[in-house]
Amino acid sequence: MDDVSPAPKASVSFTARGIARGGQRLLPLSVFVFPFGVAYGVAAIETGLTADQALIMSLIVFAGAAQFAVLDLWQSPLPFVSMALVMFAVNARHFILGAAISPYVNPLPARHWFWSLVLLTDLNFADTYKSVNEGRRDLGQLFGGGLALWAVWALATAVGVFAGALLGELERYGVDVVMAGAFAALSVGMIPNLRAAVPVAVACVVAVITLPVLPTGWNIIAAALAGGAAGLVFPAQPKQVP
Amino acid sequence: MVDPQTAYLAIAMMAIVTLLTRLGGAYVMRFVTVSPRVTSFLEAMSASVLAAIVATFVVNNGTREAAAVAVAVVVMLATRSAVAAMVAAMAFAAAWTAFIG
Repeated sequence: MDDVSPAPKASVSFTARGIARGGQRLLPLSVFVFPFGVAYGVAAIETGLTADQALIMSLIVFAGAAQFAVLDLWQSPLPFVSMALVMFAVNARHFILGAAISPYVNPLPARHWFWSLVLLTDLNFADTYKSVNEGRRDLGQLFGGGLALWAVWALATAVGVFAGALLGELERYGVDVVMAGAFAALSVGMIPNLRAAVPVAVACVVAVITLPVLPTGWNIIAAALAGGAAGLVFPAQPKQVP
Repeated sequence: MVDPQTAYLAIAMMAIVTLLTRLGGAYVMRFVTVSPRVTSFLEAMSASVLAAIVATFVVNNGTREAAAVAVAVVVMLATRSAVAAMVAAMAFAAAWTAFIG
């Protein structure tokens, strides 16, 4: 593998210390995943999933937005093809995150490469991506952060499944805006300057325009491609990696 | 009612698709050189995907949700803290439900 990655191969690692660091850094953030997980547990039961189905989905899929999206399609018989496409569409951003972190992940041995990526989400990506750009290239941080999020996500789903009904209307607690608020904040955090805001604005417009005409989830893909294309015209000021 | 076997099969399928998206991005980059243009494209795309999900959420919901998202954006710009932004959005939405309905 002879790429032009900015990271010298020797400088990346995957250590227990890195895993601990990722866990420590993401645990405070995962507190805010909790209401979202509770909301998912409640919604899954309301949709007709059994408690184990909702829990197993959170344990082995571990993708909040996609799990919510697929509930809209949960009917008998299950529309497997639509479900797979929606899963792919909503999760396509993992592809982008994985590509973005690849200069630091790909030099790792296969086993560490797999574990670095297996719990990849927006939150631990953002955390680790910041660290690797600052010169801390221990990819254990990505897995450790994912582990903290995964544990809290599963626990929150369990709470939603078994106790959610006792909470009553989730709107009372603002739980329903958790995902949108989190994504809005993360998106703003990825905009270093005004030029970088142009692709995001383009993406929002495309998402809204194509929403009524494309199958569920595909307006997100159209918007992402439009935003990426706009990024070629209006690139953010290139920042120097230390 | 979805029969249990089919349900678990669907969940397994979802897990596999999701795992492929997690591994796929880094895997493909083994065979592609990372030019500045590719980086620009991917960076713009990363922020765009999240923003597009938010825009879709806003269009599919009401004034309360749109205002809560606006609160998250403003707090994020002011504090650069995603946690503060999420708490503010939740508190705003909860207060809206309590006082406006």
